[in-house]
Amino acid sequence: MTSAQASDRIVFRDVSKFYGEVLGVNKVNLEVTPGLTGLVGPNGSGKSTLMHLMTGLLRPSRGEISVLGVSPGCPEQLFHLVGYCTQYDNFPNGSTGLSFLRFALALHGYSNREADERAWAALGRVGLSDAANRRIAGYSKGMRQRVKLAHAHCHDPRVLVLDEPLNGLDPMGRAEMIDLFTDLAKEGRHIIVSSHILHEVDVISDGVIMIHGGAIVAEGGIREVRGEITSHPIQVLIRCDQPHAVASRIFELEHVVEARIIERDGLLVRTRDAADFFTQFNRIVIDTGVVVETVVPADESVHAVYDYLIGEGQGGGSA
Amino acid sequence: MTTPSNLLQRRQAVTLARHEIRRSLFSRRSLAVYVLVTMPLALMLLRALFMPGSLRADATHATTEFAEVFHFFLLRFVVFFANAMIFVRLFRGEILEKSLHYTLLAPLRRTVLVVGKYLGGVLSASLVLVITTTMTYVLVYLPHGSAGLQLMLSGSGIANLVSYLLIVVLACFAYGALFMLAGLFFKNPMVPAIVFLGWETLTPFLPTFLKVLSFVHYLVSFAPIPVNLGAFALLAQPVPRWIAFFALAVSSGLLVFAASRVARRLEVTYSAD
Repeated sequence: MTSAQASDRIVFRDVSKFYGEVLGVNKVNLEVTPGLTGLVGPNGSGKSTLMHLMTGLLRPSRGEISVLGVSPGCPEQLFHLVGYCTQYDNFPNGSTGLSFLRFALALHGYSNREADERAWAALGRVGLSDAANRRIAGYSKGMRQRVKLAHAHCHDPRVLVLDEPLNGLDPMGRAEMIDLFTDLAKEGRHIIVSSHILHEVDVISDGVIMIHGGAIVAEGGIREVRGEITSHPIQVLIRCDQPHAVASRIFELEHVVEARIIERDGLLVRTRDAADFFTQFNRIVIDTGVVVETVVPADESVHAVYDYLIGEGQGGGSA
Repeated sequence: MTTPSNLLQRRQAVTLARHEIRRSLFSRRSLAVYVLVTMPLALMLLRALFMPGSLRADATHATTEFAEVFHFFLLRFVVFFANAMIFVRLFRGEILEKSLHYTLLAPLRRTVLVVGKYLGGVLSASLVLVITTTMTYVLVYLPHGSAGLQLMLSGSGIANLVSYLLIVVLACFAYGALFMLAGLFFKNPMVPAIVFLGWETLTPFLPTFLKVLSFVHYLVSFAPIPVNLGAFALLAQPVPRWIAFFALAVSSGLLVFAASRVARRLEVTYSAD
């Protein structure tokens, strides 16, 4: 990896973390590129440990970590680049939203005036301007979540690490925060989001990291990850005007293991060779002259991939 | 942020110190410290109320009485425990409150974090204890009327007060560094604090080679009026003030250095605490 690449990536090299004799994460190798990355895994799988390691709140027992070329062991450099919204729901006693952010920004070296401006801007961005001077102890769960998000991004970091950032937010708040994360990612930042709500991770993430039992089980774009799971045929949903005719032709293909009519105009196909399937399907469409409305992958989602890789072993599909 | 590194570190240390002063002096938890420092004042008020008339006339007693109160109550109890309460909380308080990570998520060297918090603790403890000592001093002389006031405001009276205040401030530096380290190291730092109080209390009865391992041995070198430590006390040569100052400064510095080493390895695992 070149130094230019190193300064643009979050890299874990053979990282392990043990709490005494208890395994936190084991031999993690990762390279996270800019964009919105979802971190998915069941409770206790090592998501928060991974995030703590990335931000220096934990030190690795083994291996090396580099965040945009900076070691998490150098907080004086790291936290100019990184903001972290942890899962902890506690705040310094007596703080108001504004004083909490002002103190954080003062530690970043901003003057009183700059700290004030940035604190107000960050609180505005998460919709807390009206509650800025109220004590955090009196905030609702959703407001506390918002003030933590404001704390994480008030200094304009290039990397935002967000541990279950949508917890406690109402549907409107979730939508607003998802928009905020998407905007920040579009600006070329790294946004790493852990969530147990797979649907949300699916909607917002460019890539996904799946962790289970302290080990990374999959990493990359959701399509690539799904493509590598050969044990489960890929599912394709076709909507057309002659599903029975298409089904009979498709069944002749060697790699198709199932073709099932669903509803009136839907056909669900399971195939072991997606690339060949799409080539052959184009030919069938031309030959039969069917009118095709949609052809979409039915299990190229975080949820499906999670189920295949982790959920089945857990006896369920949610993290 | 492109503030030069040294300037940024100084700013961060000042920000942390101011934050700690607010937390130490104006939070709900500081109530225990205020109750503690009110005790000698209450004691002196009771003494003033119930002092026999014959004693009121003789102000010379006040000087030795304050020396005894200072040695056996102010220094060994009030100053000791006020420092324990303030400095143990610098880190342990935030760990128990589960809010330490917010400070650790700042672009801050852990050494600066330790120094900033320590300075905040020293300033808070010194302010509270200097005021308490001064008020206690005044309350010892006040019942003796104009003769007492004259003695208190005389050259030697003021010089004595300055010496006592110097002891209090030096104690804040030394005990402060020790308790801050204890707060980083132990889950329940009050246990080692009480063990150390026992050690400090036993100092007069220890042989010289063990006396040197206590802070109070050096602190009393600055005391203007010697006190009778009892029949079983083992007398030792008083430590010259410059050596005492040097010993306290070096030991405080070493303890702060040790605390910064521990802070550098500090991890956030609240569930374990």
